[in-house]
Amino acid sequence: MPVLEIHNLVKRFDTVLAVDDLSFSVEAGEIFGFLGGNGAGKTTTLRMVLDILRPTSGTISLLGAPPSRRVASAIGFLPEERGLYGAMTAIETIVYFGRLKGMDEALARRRGMELLERFDLAERAKSKIGDMSKGMAQKVQLATALVNEPELLMLDEPFSGLDPVNQGLLEDEILRASERGAAVIFSTHVMQHAERLCDRLLLLKKGRKRFEGTLAEARALLPARLDAVAKADLAKLPGVSEAAASPTDDPDWQAWSLRFAPGVEPGQVLQHCTEQGIVLRRWEHHRASLHDVFVQLVGDEEIKP
Amino acid sequence: MTLSNVLLVARREMLQIVKLRSFLLTLLILPVALAIGPILGDSLRKAEPTRVTVIDRSDGDGAKALEARFAFDEARELLGELSRYVQRYDLQAADPKAPWAQHGRWYGPADVAAFEASGGLDAALEKIDRVRPEGVPLFEPPVADYRFVAPPSGLAQNEGADFAEAARKLVADDKDKTKPEILVLIPQGYPADTRIAIYSADEVRGSFVGKLQEVLTADLRTRLLAQSGVTGERAALVQNIAPNIAIDTPPPGGGATERLLVRSIVPLALSYILMMSLMLSGSWMLQGSIEERSNKLIESLLACISPEELMYGKLLGGLVVGLLMLSVWAGCAGIAAFATQGAIADLIRPALEPISSPGIIAAIIFFFVAGYVGISAIFVAIGSMADSMSEAQGFMMPVILLILLPITFLLQAIIAGNDGPLVQVLTWVPLWSPFAVLARLGMGIETWELIGTGILLVVWIAAELVLIARLFRASLLAAGQRPTLAKVIQRIRRPEEAG
Repeated sequence: MPVLEIHNLVKRFDTVLAVDDLSFSVEAGEIFGFLGGNGAGKTTTLRMVLDILRPTSGTISLLGAPPSRRVASAIGFLPEERGLYGAMTAIETIVYFGRLKGMDEALARRRGMELLERFDLAERAKSKIGDMSKGMAQKVQLATALVNEPELLMLDEPFSGLDPVNQGLLEDEILRASERGAAVIFSTHVMQHAERLCDRLLLLKKGRKRFEGTLAEARALLPARLDAVAKADLAKLPGVSEAAASPTDDPDWQAWSLRFAPGVEPGQVLQHCTEQGIVLRRWEHHRASLHDVFVQLVGDEEIKP
Repeated sequence: MTLSNVLLVARREMLQIVKLRSFLLTLLILPVALAIGPILGDSLRKAEPTRVTVIDRSDGDGAKALEARFAFDEARELLGELSRYVQRYDLQAADPKAPWAQHGRWYGPADVAAFEASGGLDAALEKIDRVRPEGVPLFEPPVADYRFVAPPSGLAQNEGADFAEAARKLVADDKDKTKPEILVLIPQGYPADTRIAIYSADEVRGSFVGKLQEVLTADLRTRLLAQSGVTGERAALVQNIAPNIAIDTPPPGGGATERLLVRSIVPLALSYILMMSLMLSGSWMLQGSIEERSNKLIESLLACISPEELMYGKLLGGLVVGLLMLSVWAGCAGIAAFATQGAIADLIRPALEPISSPGIIAAIIFFFVAGYVGISAIFVAIGSMADSMSEAQGFMMPVILLILLPITFLLQAIIAGNDGPLVQVLTWVPLWSPFAVLARLGMGIETWELIGTGILLVVWIAAELVLIARLFRASLLAAGQRPTLAKVIQRIRRPEEAG
């Protein structure tokens, strides 16, 4: 059974359609990337899963039940806009959130200390949040999301505002949660993190799903590009949709820039060349990046480098 | 909604407020102010009599007559005060025949003479001490208003404008505590010349001038009577003839106005404490809500608990803080009563009388709690809409004025013993009824009014909480949006669609 299943979800604010007929599911142990630009509907969807917002229509099934505070104990959530009570200490904060998720105080305290030790903050356990640096406070907030060892970990733009060290720490925690069997959903518009971590991705634009699948499937959406040097006319190869030739230093050889029709594997074309005795000096395959896919599907105005 | 979550939020809210320095200071300020108040009052009260000098250039008995009259009035006041003290603590057994043990009349010269002949205050207190039960405070004699002092040497030698100048300089010198503050000059030509001059750096009290005029008028009349052939006993009889005034009033503390005031002390204090603790804890709750919004931690909280749990937790936390403040202040009052036994306990006993039945105690608790929840909910709603303290204050000011102004009039009306239309209206409008009902307990409130206003209050709070919960839910995540009236109404009507 998927940890999270969403069917035909719609959310409307006044005249604005924030989420439009969205369906997807996330399995246990899966890391699911929720990609889209600002205003794509990522945060609204996550808020509906958390029961902070109610859908206009559609269904959400969380561990087999509709969203409610009763399943809060199974969820860990890190919001995009982060903050904690400045007057509370780090450990008090973690224990407070743990208890709000239905944990026993002693267990919450023990797990909280374990997390602080892992985050190299054990010595600051009794420091007030207001006295900590921003990076330290962010780690404490991550600990509040992890303290209950959630079955579903939802992270809304988790890497924004983190320094490279803390970004690495967060990536480790995402992988650790996934290895433990938790389903992890994180929204981002930083493609490198998604490429590195995600088993599957979903691309949203203006509340509507543009793509759902694996990274390879995403890349396959764009035609492969290839640079080759040959004596023969490569424009005639099967599957080539565009070809441009340019001269090289040796007049017998030409440099070719090729594009293939979607679904055509450059490896098959290479095999064809070998079988036909087409001599090649260079065969360099450029795979489409997630960035390219994102730009193609969502538009480049929303992307972060 | 889960009770454990409400309690967790309430506990955190309460601890956050209790740990504030301003909370501790506020908690201490009231008892300290109440303790210092009487001391300050005593120090502000004129501790020493005003010094008076009379220069009589007529070689008559004007100065002596004046001094005797002031002395008599002071003795009569002392006798009156002693009589009230004896009556209040039922100490007549000390000497039933003494004038101070007979209360039903306005004391005349014979009474004062008898009082002084029997040894005055010292002898009276000696007798009273023999029967004074433990716990009854000692008698505190009133401070005399005036003290007559001899004229400074050389002053009387001045004449005309020089005298006036010297006299003005003399009364203006407020550093030298031996010099007169009021100087009276009886001219050489008196009684033919009836111009009496009074020199003082401050305004002279009407009672002083009246008494002066009375004494000198009597002197003038005596002289006139003598000129008309009426002398001796006959002339004295004309001067001293006066009605025998009998006064029938309840014992001290038992008069209608006085009794109403004493009975209303605790109810008025409760109403005032409700108002004050609400304003204070409302402000702290507001700070907490704004911290949650400005620190962006609302979303983290709402991932764990419902907006309703958060709202009720805040209300409960605020209520506990209010009750804590009430308990501490009541505890301080109890300690003060215990420590001072006599004076305060004597005042508190009749003050507690109207609120000592179980039904009234239940009503006090109900209206205090209901008032707290009803008004705090408004502060919580404001906190959920404002992104900063300055923005919150923009909403708070009209709300506070709306609550406080009528209550100020209400408390004044009740102190004056007035239960007219204003008091009735405020009793039945739920926003003010907790204050009005609490304040009216001393003057007496009908049972049907208690029940009726209680039911109305419960209905109002239930409706208020439903509406504010909608506003709270819709406003929590709407940061950065200025909540116009239209937006507020939309959030209350359709919280799910409000962006």
